[in-house]
Amino acid sequence: MSETVTLARKELLDLRRDRVVWIVVGTLGLAVVLSVVVASLDFRAQLADYEAYAAQVKASGSGVTPAAPQLFPLQLLRGGMEYVEVLGALFALMIGYGAIAKERSRGTVDLLLTRARSGTSIVMGKLLGLAILWAVIMAAVVVTALASVALIGGSTIGWHEVGRMALAGAAGWVYAVFWSAIAVAVTTLTRNSTAALLTLLVLWLVIVLVIPQIGDTMDPDNQVPGGLFKALAIAKPDEHAVLHHFATYESLRNGLEVSSLSKLYERFTFATLGIKDIYNGQSLAVVWDGTFRYVIGALTLTGAALTFAAASGRRIHTLRRS
Amino acid sequence: MSTAITAARHELLASVRAKAPYALVAAFLGMVAASTFIGWRTTVTVTAIYERVLADGYTTQPNPFTDVSPLYYVRNTVIYVLLIGTLMAATLGVQSALRDRKAETAALIGTRPVDARALRTGRLLGLGILLAALVAVTEVVTWVSVGLLVGGPLDAAETLRIAGFGVLTWLLLVGFAGVGMLSGRLLHRERTALLAPVVVWAVIAFVVPQLGTAARPVSLLNPVPLPAQDSGAFAWLSHALAPIAITERFKTASGALLGSPTTGSAAASALLVALFAAVALTAAILVRGTRTQGVPHE
Amino acid sequence: MTSTAIALDRVTHRYGTRPALVDLTLDIPEGEIFGLLGHNGAGKTTTVGILTTLLQASAGDAVVAGHDVRTAARDVRASLGYLPENVTFYNDLTTMENLVFFARLSGLRRPEARIGEVLEFVGFTGHDHERVGTFSKGMRQRVGLAQALLHRPAVLFLDEPTSGLDPEGVRALRELILRVNAEHGTTIFMNTHLLSEVTKTCTSIGILRSGRLVHHGTLADTVGAFPTEDALERAYFASATDAPA
Repeated sequence: MSETVTLARKELLDLRRDRVVWIVVGTLGLAVVLSVVVASLDFRAQLADYEAYAAQVKASGSGVTPAAPQLFPLQLLRGGMEYVEVLGALFALMIGYGAIAKERSRGTVDLLLTRARSGTSIVMGKLLGLAILWAVIMAAVVVTALASVALIGGSTIGWHEVGRMALAGAAGWVYAVFWSAIAVAVTTLTRNSTAALLTLLVLWLVIVLVIPQIGDTMDPDNQVPGGLFKALAIAKPDEHAVLHHFATYESLRNGLEVSSLSKLYERFTFATLGIKDIYNGQSLAVVWDGTFRYVIGALTLTGAALTFAAASGRRIHTLRRS
Repeated sequence: MSTAITAARHELLASVRAKAPYALVAAFLGMVAASTFIGWRTTVTVTAIYERVLADGYTTQPNPFTDVSPLYYVRNTVIYVLLIGTLMAATLGVQSALRDRKAETAALIGTRPVDARALRTGRLLGLGILLAALVAVTEVVTWVSVGLLVGGPLDAAETLRIAGFGVLTWLLLVGFAGVGMLSGRLLHRERTALLAPVVVWAVIAFVVPQLGTAARPVSLLNPVPLPAQDSGAFAWLSHALAPIAITERFKTASGALLGSPTTGSAAASALLVALFAAVALTAAILVRGTRTQGVPHE
Repeated sequence: MTSTAIALDRVTHRYGTRPALVDLTLDIPEGEIFGLLGHNGAGKTTTVGILTTLLQASAGDAVVAGHDVRTAARDVRASLGYLPENVTFYNDLTTMENLVFFARLSGLRRPEARIGEVLEFVGFTGHDHERVGTFSKGMRQRVGLAQALLHRPAVLFLDEPTSGLDPEGVRALRELILRVNAEHGTTIFMNTHLLSEVTKTCTSIGILRSGRLVHHGTLADTVGAFPTEDALERAYFASATDAPA
């Protein structure tokens, strides 16, 4: 155990000097802030539209005033959470790849192998270092997100928001650990660093972008601008009644979506933060009831990725220069 | 001229021989091949939904999918080009730029009596030919698969539209290949050289359109355009940032060619894609690398 | 009267503020096999870098085969062949594919016949269609020498050519260097820190210490001053005590 901790410490020292890590922290922070700015401007635009409409209604002498749009602070984080989902995964892959690939390019793996008890302890030491790094990065994302919602969105941040955001941060940490484990395992098992890097890029594309994109694009409601059911003037209950007849298609589409860890992470985070309307203002019990399957799925996949990484340690000699 | 042709031949040979990017090429070709089926399956389902809705008396609206072009089935190809194709092209560009450093042949090249710009032009030419071949394969796959689904060969007009879409795709891809080459030439490590064009791509594909439309990043990967924002700040930003939102311009121009609903001017969008390619290629030829020697360590 | 193949006139080069070469002045006549000796970091590779146009000197002039390295770099490149210390190629390509590429860059239109000729000269036939990535260091060194000779250069630069080779490889390469010089009259500039190689191959030598040329002369003159078995070794270490501080 102390060997793993020593390796993790050395990894953290290396990571602290790695410029990519600082670029990652800066980019993620900036993306979150930017998304809050855009969402706040969008809300203000909606509010202005509403006020103009309400004035028009009042002028026409009608007594019925439509409901004003309401600001839910954590909903301002939707874009930011999507950036964590897309870019966070990519950055975790790149940092994880670097942690292993540098041993190959420097030729230092022999020095490690002649000292450590096993390849597995080397790999797990590195992963521990990466997990600590991502805990710090996610904490920074949580603080940045809350601060931007308060300062840019002009919302009051209470314990409710802090708690929910901390949960989303924890989910982001599990998500980043999954991608770090995949990166470490693939890089350890691939003889050629370029092949490892490109394999990781393909995995990122397929799991983070392509699979959710297919699910999204097959959604019947996404077929016309503004939504199919809106275009056909169909109310929500009727929409559910109609879709009930297409249950097989919908299950297939949903199955495809939840086969991607990114979608599991997204569904849990959006529910926790109330970004998804049906969970907005609901208690954690309701959120848990709706999302525990995703949590179990994500934890199982992360556990599998960690096991894969630990097992790859047995083949760490592939990193030696021939 | 002979230097450029020699470099182009070498680029083609070396790119085909290097197996590392094959997975990306396979993902691109595979998804383009699958996209017609995805588009067809979705259209069939939505038509069935409409018929059900009509039969149950929930709507009196006309079917929004009546008389859509058969090319509407391939609307997802546009997304796979800007999602996988652009990253594939950038990766090929990075690998091309790093090849001499990885093989440690920079000194052998540097002691040959050749003009460095001619060499870079030749490499881009080689990559351009390779990308043209890949695009041609995707267009043939598209033509055949749509033909199979509609039960007959596509007519001349539709074929011409697919060819036009191919040209537009090629322009976008060579532009990103140029971005990849620049990154490989200017950055020290392979990881950062590859990461930089992906981040540039994410900014172009997600951040810039988000600033102009308030759209959520991932929703921009849906081929159906989002309703335009017409409120003050967004309308202004949308106009100001439109020329940089190259992937959105590509979606607009491609949508017009493939008969999908679009927002914005198709001709102006196609011109901007061409301009992007021209700027990226010129920069890739003119900008000298600061990192011409030394293995790209991690 | 023989003319000068390589001339350096007060060439100085700095990496940042650290001087790598200081006022190097040297004339090497055509047809010589010149060995540049020196400890690690003495400035040998920097000198070759400047003469092969891979580096631009901070100050001073250098001429190779009658062309100024600064103002006529292309002509210089057309006249030289270069074998780097760790010669590597595009591993995914075959011997022939690699050599065709380098030959065309050197201006040869249809290089296949010439490549066959050179491969035979360096004793490396029968591997034309094998990928270079599978070759040993010795095999790569032969392909490296072949690429350097393809365009019949007037001057051949060899940077630590025997580094990492086994005794058989060292002997074979030495014989090839002597043949190139004897049969084609090629001037050879060789960097090395192996004194025994210089004794067996070179006609003249220079000794660099911390970027300064502390000795230049024919091999006969150099070892003549120390008429013992280890003459060159004695000359080399004697030069250290003469070197300016």
